[in-house]
Amino acid sequence: MNVIIRICLAIIMVCMLGACGFKDIDKRFFVVALGIDQSENEKKPYRITLQLAIPSPKIEPGASKTQIETIDAPSIAEGVRMLKAYVDKEIDFGHCKIFIIGEKVANSDYQGALEWMTRRRDIQSVANIAIGKPDAESLLKVKPLSERYPGNTLFLSFGADGTESSYTYVESLSDFSRRASEEGLDPLMPIIKKDNQESFIINKTALLDKKRVKLVLNPSEAQLYNQLANDFTKSSMHGMFEGLDLVVAITEIHSKFRIGKQNGEDTITMDVKMKVVFEEAPKDLYSAQWRSVEEDLNKEYAKSCVKLLRKIQKAGVDPIGFGLRYRATHPGSDAFKKWESLYPTIKFVVRANIIIEGTGLIK
Amino acid sequence: MNRYVFYNFIMVSFINLLLFVPHILIEARFNGAVSSMIVGTVIGTILVYMYTSAMARYPGKGLPEILKQHFPQWLVSICMFCSAVMWWFATSIVVVAYAILINRFFNPDANSIIILSMLIIACGYAATRSTLSVMFVLEIGLIVNAPVIIFILFKAVRSTQLNFDSIRVVANYVTAMPTLSAVAAASFIFTGYINLSLFNRLLPPNFRFKFRWVYPVFGITIMLITFFVPIGFHGTEAVNQYTYIWSVTADSLIMQYGFIERVLFLFLIVFLNLTLVYTMCGWHQAMEFIKCCFRNYKPEIDSPKTPVANYVIVGIFAMLTMLYLVLTNEKINMFITSYWLVARMFVEFIIVLTVFVLSRRRPKTT
Repeated sequence: MNVIIRICLAIIMVCMLGACGFKDIDKRFFVVALGIDQSENEKKPYRITLQLAIPSPKIEPGASKTQIETIDAPSIAEGVRMLKAYVDKEIDFGHCKIFIIGEKVANSDYQGALEWMTRRRDIQSVANIAIGKPDAESLLKVKPLSERYPGNTLFLSFGADGTESSYTYVESLSDFSRRASEEGLDPLMPIIKKDNQESFIINKTALLDKKRVKLVLNPSEAQLYNQLANDFTKSSMHGMFEGLDLVVAITEIHSKFRIGKQNGEDTITMDVKMKVVFEEAPKDLYSAQWRSVEEDLNKEYAKSCVKLLRKIQKAGVDPIGFGLRYRATHPGSDAFKKWESLYPTIKFVVRANIIIEGTGLIK
Repeated sequence: MNRYVFYNFIMVSFINLLLFVPHILIEARFNGAVSSMIVGTVIGTILVYMYTSAMARYPGKGLPEILKQHFPQWLVSICMFCSAVMWWFATSIVVVAYAILINRFFNPDANSIIILSMLIIACGYAATRSTLSVMFVLEIGLIVNAPVIIFILFKAVRSTQLNFDSIRVVANYVTAMPTLSAVAAASFIFTGYINLSLFNRLLPPNFRFKFRWVYPVFGITIMLITFFVPIGFHGTEAVNQYTYIWSVTADSLIMQYGFIERVLFLFLIVFLNLTLVYTMCGWHQAMEFIKCCFRNYKPEIDSPKTPVANYVIVGIFAMLTMLYLVLTNEKINMFITSYWLVARMFVEFIIVLTVFVLSRRRPKTT
């Protein structure tokens, strides 16, 4: 009895294996980047661009090969489905790490694209998302000289494996979708630009509301934002001391903020603590009083921070999450409404506390 | 032997992630989830203490034997049949939900009925083994999988993506009144003790329950992680849009230098193991309860030969589970689960109270 049952079970198991619908890896096309643009055609508003990796036996700089497929479609899902008819292998999104949204889409309404991405099961939530300028298609057609694997350049620019630029804000899909619907925390995305040669520049950040781009931060503001909101070290800061230029590298930074009343006015107080080392400084700085240099740097840093925060406030967005903190500290379901009336007029106070660790290798 | 009691507790508290418990709690996050969690903790802790102290007076006896001492056979049969249905249903919901989950994430081309039949063949075979073997399989399954699950949970808690402001926003809603379905969902995390109904047979005569304070502490930790980590990851609003909230949360994590970069797959694999172990355990208990409905049944914890009745009963369970998958879909399954959780809570009240009262009434000398 027992033996018969066991044999039957084994046979049933083996018979079922045939129905698994599995496709071999060399019968698959791996999408490494996806671009979503707006097309001129009104009936087919989306232009989908897929960067497909072509496996190659050679691994050397510049040996990466990709195939680009573009289509105009009435919706993203239909476009991707239709592109299957253009290629010979099964399209697989399992390795897609970069999503580029064209500038036009980001300026009109990104929610449709975002919803498609979060709904699909094979799209990773850890993928990076960015805005492509002027459009995603032309960016995906760039063939960087040093690229070893298909689509690796953009991936390395965002991850911590390759370059870590203080000007690049890194946004993952899961974080973006959280910000896209959270009350009191607004989304932001890096902007990828193509330079004249075959490479990318990623040094601007776009701040968005729940629908479209509201403000674009220039490179120095983008860096300052990364320092304030993400505690990004490996960055630098520019300052003046008695009319002389100074550049310091930040080795440690911690920032925190508090919402409260100061002199009867609603204020956001931000404390920024950082430790710095000089990268460029006048020759005899070593012997000068560091305390007064620190104070000068503090003042200047605080000024530029307040300027940035005011600019963000004026655009009506809140990427740092002041509104969320207000909701967290003020219980009640109408807290966000109160905050919305409060935010446009709220005051910012930044207290920088810079500690000089050294002047580098020379005095 | 205390660890065997604890394994059941750990397993059930982990499996809540698949049983739509976070889903139900998160849906009620602005109207009573937090207070429900507090009430659920209190209920769960009281029941754990009551049931363990009651069971300690009946060493080596399961729930059916205890009832048989005090009630006529026909009443015991009815009770056992009802409990068997409860236990079968608890596990079937999970295994069906997991078959659909595999279909969604691993292999959308495969038929979910085929996936389910493979799962239930494995669980069914394991469930027909003797009580002692089932307990050992449970131990092995947990020792292999629990570290990975704890690793994933720890990784999620330590992640920089976790936004504590969102968590605080939701925690502030503690003043909202608890709701019945949320209390039931929260107390499910503590419900592992109820497996003692059968596994008490394994415990030796001079057994004493030790470290009982660990149960509530562990349960509360798991419950807080279950509820608050997804909110910290997805925010107070977006968290409600996902159907498989913990799968999406695991997908938001990254293991840069792991073999597989996406934590999602690691998560799904360990929870596959856990689902199999849980289903095995549940079906085995349901099977034993069904067998106790018959008058001339003698409980055995480690029979050398598997009775044919085991195969027949588990075969029926498997068929019913398949039928359940065919008749329901994701949405109906979720809907039924939320009601089942409430029913389970009340059935547990009745079981625990009955056994507790019986254990107090019995003179100590016998």
